[in-house]
Amino acid sequence: MYHSIYDLVTGPLTWLGFGVLVLGGLFRMVSLYSLAKKKDASSIAYNKAKYGIRSILHWITPFGTLGWKENPVITVVTFVFHICLLATPIFLGAHIDLWDLNFGVSWPALPDHVADIMTVLVIAAGCFFAYRRVVDKTVAFVTTWKDWFALCVTMGPFITGFLAYHQIFNYQFMIVLHVITGIAWLLFIPFGRLSHAILGWYSRVYIASEFQGVRHAKDW
Amino acid sequence: MKKCITLMLALAAVVVFILPAFCQEDITEIKDPAFQTLKRPAVPFMHDEHNEKAGLDGCLPCHHEGMENGEFVEGDPAKCADCHEVAPTDDSTDLKTAYHQQCIQCHEDAAKGPVACGECHVK
Amino acid sequence: MYNEIFDRKIEDVGLQTGIDRLTPEKIEKTVKQVLEGETGAKLKVYHDTCVRCGMCAKACHFYQSHLEPSYSPVAKIHQSIGVLIEKDGKVGPDFIYQCAQIAYTECNLCRRCVHYCPLGIDTAYMMSTMRRICHKLGVTPQYIQDTAHSHSATMNQMWVKDDEWVDSLLWQEEEARDEFPDMRIPLDVDGVDFLYSVIGPEPKFRTHLIYQAAAIFHEAGANWTMPSEPGWDNSDMAMFSGDFEMMGRLKRAHFECAQKLHVKRIVMGECGHAFRSIYDQGNRWLGWKDYPVEVVHSVEFFTELFKAGKIKMKAKHPGIATIQDPCNIIRGRGLYDHLRFLAHEVCEEIVEMAPNGEHNYCCAAGGGIINCGPPFKNVRMSGNKAKADQLKAAYDKGARTILAPCHNCHGGLEDIIHHYGIDMEIKFLGDIIYANMVKTKAVEE
Repeated sequence: MYHSIYDLVTGPLTWLGFGVLVLGGLFRMVSLYSLAKKKDASSIAYNKAKYGIRSILHWITPFGTLGWKENPVITVVTFVFHICLLATPIFLGAHIDLWDLNFGVSWPALPDHVADIMTVLVIAAGCFFAYRRVVDKTVAFVTTWKDWFALCVTMGPFITGFLAYHQIFNYQFMIVLHVITGIAWLLFIPFGRLSHAILGWYSRVYIASEFQGVRHAKDW
Repeated sequence: MKKCITLMLALAAVVVFILPAFCQEDITEIKDPAFQTLKRPAVPFMHDEHNEKAGLDGCLPCHHEGMENGEFVEGDPAKCADCHEVAPTDDSTDLKTAYHQQCIQCHEDAAKGPVACGECHVK
Repeated sequence: MYNEIFDRKIEDVGLQTGIDRLTPEKIEKTVKQVLEGETGAKLKVYHDTCVRCGMCAKACHFYQSHLEPSYSPVAKIHQSIGVLIEKDGKVGPDFIYQCAQIAYTECNLCRRCVHYCPLGIDTAYMMSTMRRICHKLGVTPQYIQDTAHSHSATMNQMWVKDDEWVDSLLWQEEEARDEFPDMRIPLDVDGVDFLYSVIGPEPKFRTHLIYQAAAIFHEAGANWTMPSEPGWDNSDMAMFSGDFEMMGRLKRAHFECAQKLHVKRIVMGECGHAFRSIYDQGNRWLGWKDYPVEVVHSVEFFTELFKAGKIKMKAKHPGIATIQDPCNIIRGRGLYDHLRFLAHEVCEEIVEMAPNGEHNYCCAAGGGIINCGPPFKNVRMSGNKAKADQLKAAYDKGARTILAPCHNCHGGLEDIIHHYGIDMEIKFLGDIIYANMVKTKAVEE
């Protein structure tokens, strides 16, 4: 029973997760780009890589923009959150071992205790975001179920991963749940709120070109 | 003199057959010294109990000595680390992967036994 | 939280009359028509990806002034177009009233929030789209709709009749000849260096601005003209009311006016939104990536005159001045350096407001809000305490003059200094240059 569940989630469902992430992501990027070409031609006509890169470099620098400077706490939490969010699953030793076993590819891993701290940071940042959604009136006012859903989907694999790693509660149950929540995360990245991970670059490059190219002003 | 020879042979038999048997009973976990520092907890492993449960007669597939026509060749019950280095310089299988492959693949095939990290590396 | 009770409804006969004519079916049809027909990936991506972090709140002078969640940029979307997208237009007329009030009177389309959004979401675009829907539904504030009507009837914003326009120019020329005996306001001269265009309110009630500009051009020995035909008005309230068809017609008329006269370029008066309409919105509606005729703003043109030494100051404007950076020419078109150069050329001393430049706060009049008229004046006043605080800080540093090269900024700040009791005077660059320049061609006094 356990083996067939484990095989199902780590086999076909994981393929599904990555498949939807890659194909769904590509579909969203391609379809929206062609829609932009069809409907927003007067906007994307000004797009230039140079402006986009310049803008992205500013925005991926903590405190490199007005928005980051004016919201210092969110800035720190957001950067820590996103860095740990991406680096932990990619550079986790156990994940790399799985890549190695299944595909014979590997790359340097983070020490387990570092990855553990990073996981805790992701969870802590998630709690901070949840706290803001409830307590900060400005954020609470605009929070919908979509935002809670995105937060839950994102936190799921980290919480279960942490519990599984420390073997708190039933391990087998937790590891299966970890894989399932991880797959859910992959599944939802191309859609809804989480799609900012792939579509945010579009809006960034566009507004960068709009500001720097047309308006001769900084967009940061 | 005849007596003496018989006694010597008996002693030799004890050394050759009985002592290793005592040694094997001692294997309760896999804690390969080749790893020096362990990143994860050592894996509890009752050698005989495992083999009995798994219905393994010989030492294969775990203790193998190279491959021939895609099949493991049985060899002396050599230690894994004798062949598999922790950080090999060529493209041979490293020690950690060797363990992982050996255990997980077999458990997967048999649909029995631990397959996920924490099932073996129990805290 | 989708249907927070909108507790700050302001009665406006234009909005109410429009609402009374609406049916849910008409709303749904129109919303779909705009969303499917006129918007595309931009709106979709913005709507999907906004993670509701709330960072944009601090960008908005309305939020900074009220410190109330419903005034943040994202909240304005959340209470208007966001709902229309989510519900596919299935909302009632009362909700459209709320949408219209938010889009027309609580967002200046100043785009300051772009500097705050990591995803680069353009709230102004979403608010413009909201206005577009309202326009198509016939739900527009009465006063701004009146200017849009004027645009469609007369091609200018202020119901200035064709003969009145020419008459105003001749009147100013006549006035000016007491001071500059040879001065002309050249009309319809073919092939000159530039055509000077102004906004409708200049001939209507700020006629002296035309006098001043003409005097400066005369002194600089410029080879210029003004058009006698419709198209002279570069302003564009249709752009702000959501009447994009009219916006396109206006821009076309404006450029064609210049093309017919074979001028080398167009120089615009000190107006922000008119500038926006030609480099940003109107041109795109017409499918033009760039101008068919080069356009320069007064701030650029005056800079040229000063750098070429064609205008010299007899004396600088006395005292300390501060600078209101108009969104549409600074954040909108990067004329920060030009404006600083000029400000230091014409004023004795400048103290800067903080923040300034492309991070400035809007005057709260722009984006057509001041054009929504008296019913919404208090929205601008209570909604821009942030600007009042900035001005007070500048006042405390000794500033008594506000240099504001934009008509909307003028109107907006005029109201703010009166409302908040800040004893400052507001000047156009033209005011100061005209009053203090060396007048070699004027009669001896």
